[in-house]
Amino acid sequence: MTETPRETRVLDAVVSLVDSLLEDFDVVDLLTELTERCAELLDVDAAGFLLADPLDQLRLLAATTEQARELELFQLQADEGPCVDCYSTGQPVSVADLNDVTARWPRFVPAALDAGFASVHAVPVRAAGIVIGALGLFGSDSGELNDADRLVAQTLAHIACVAVLQERAPTPSTVLPQLRSALASRVIVEQAKGYLRETLDVSVDEAFKLLRSYCRANGEHLTDVARRLMTDRNARPVLVSAIGEFITPAT
Amino acid sequence: MSISERLIAAVDGRRGVDAADRLCEACVALFEVDAAAISLVFDGANTGTLGSSGQHARTCDELQFLLGEGPCLDSVTRRAPVLVVDLADPDDARWPIYGPAMLDLQVRGVFAMPVVVAGEYVGALDLFRAQPGRLEESQFTGAVAAAELAGIPLLDLLDGDLHAAAADPGSNAWAELHTLSRAEVSQATGMLVAQLEIEPAEALVRLRAHAYSTGRSATDVARDILDRKLRLESD
Repeated sequence: MTETPRETRVLDAVVSLVDSLLEDFDVVDLLTELTERCAELLDVDAAGFLLADPLDQLRLLAATTEQARELELFQLQADEGPCVDCYSTGQPVSVADLNDVTARWPRFVPAALDAGFASVHAVPVRAAGIVIGALGLFGSDSGELNDADRLVAQTLAHIACVAVLQERAPTPSTVLPQLRSALASRVIVEQAKGYLRETLDVSVDEAFKLLRSYCRANGEHLTDVARRLMTDRNARPVLVSAIGEFITPAT
Repeated sequence: MSISERLIAAVDGRRGVDAADRLCEACVALFEVDAAAISLVFDGANTGTLGSSGQHARTCDELQFLLGEGPCLDSVTRRAPVLVVDLADPDDARWPIYGPAMLDLQVRGVFAMPVVVAGEYVGALDLFRAQPGRLEESQFTGAVAAAELAGIPLLDLLDGDLHAAAADPGSNAWAELHTLSRAEVSQATGMLVAQLEIEPAEALVRLRAHAYSTGRSATDVARDILDRKLRLESD
């Protein structure tokens, strides 16, 4: 009997969660399912998803078990533990053996051991450049969270973040205008390629490369620069010249 | 026939104002609205109502340009549909002068779908209803499709020569929209903007006019421009 490779199971989980995001979902329900998937995929016994409230306190949004829930709640009250550290540093936290960190978390560790957990890990949940919460994982065996596992946890944390921020599934009245906007953006980018082809005397492909290089170097959006090029006469000469600086001389 | 097919049938074989009017009439028949109009918010000379399902529609639509506020103007600025379910509802109030004026004209619901030409939001399809009520999903989707098709008569109207041309029974709006949205056509449009020092919508109009007058597809003309085998003259 062959077991489905982990990669396939991870991708299945991702597809299923994103499907819900695009069709119809309830945020608490989806996040509960997400923590359950986490626990299965990462071979941990419990997972909890926490979000920061406006006063910077982490609050539990979803968890796999009552046990983890108690723990999370405990953690918040005591203001210590892996999720709290993860949230304040914005860095993943990984403890293979809780016995090693009693000094770090004097109240959390005994409670966690008592609840039957041996290892804990947490990954940050981020949006708009700020940390908005943490995904906590609890194992009854001791063990590291390796890089592959961390990647899986981070992926699921990202999806959880989108679910929270999106709030409601898309409807045709929101989707159609967004599609048109994306298509209009593409048209403008194509025009910009043609415009640069003519003014810089390069191929259309080269024009696209130059445009992207310019945007990356200046932290600008492709569509914004293309739109400026095509609609702002006054901006054109300077913009063309700046983009032209990215032409690499033929060797 | 599906909604799309009926909308396409309304514009096919027609040009400019005629096509715009027929499209508006189709919207009235298909979407349970009482009036429809297509307007442009483009360069000064072309701003205004261009096609309508009738006089009532034209009046309702033109009023916004007179008053400087209204559904088409908002939907172009926002690049998104503007959906007002009931102008009499204080929560839905957004136009302090246009709103009451429309209520006086017995219009409660107003829906504007923006029209895009050469990647730019240049106008809108405005729908007017005497009774308050949301657009149903199929009506909303249909109205967006109609706004897409409205791009063709708007291109006609931006080109003085075509405006005067006789109706072409062979013209196919859906196929033309498809052709004009090809990457090469947009790229060639960009080149024309540089070569002729004109704006993108006008460049697309020129490219299209050249295709018509030489009996070639817009795609072929675009490719020749891109390969530098063809250079359009400035007027």
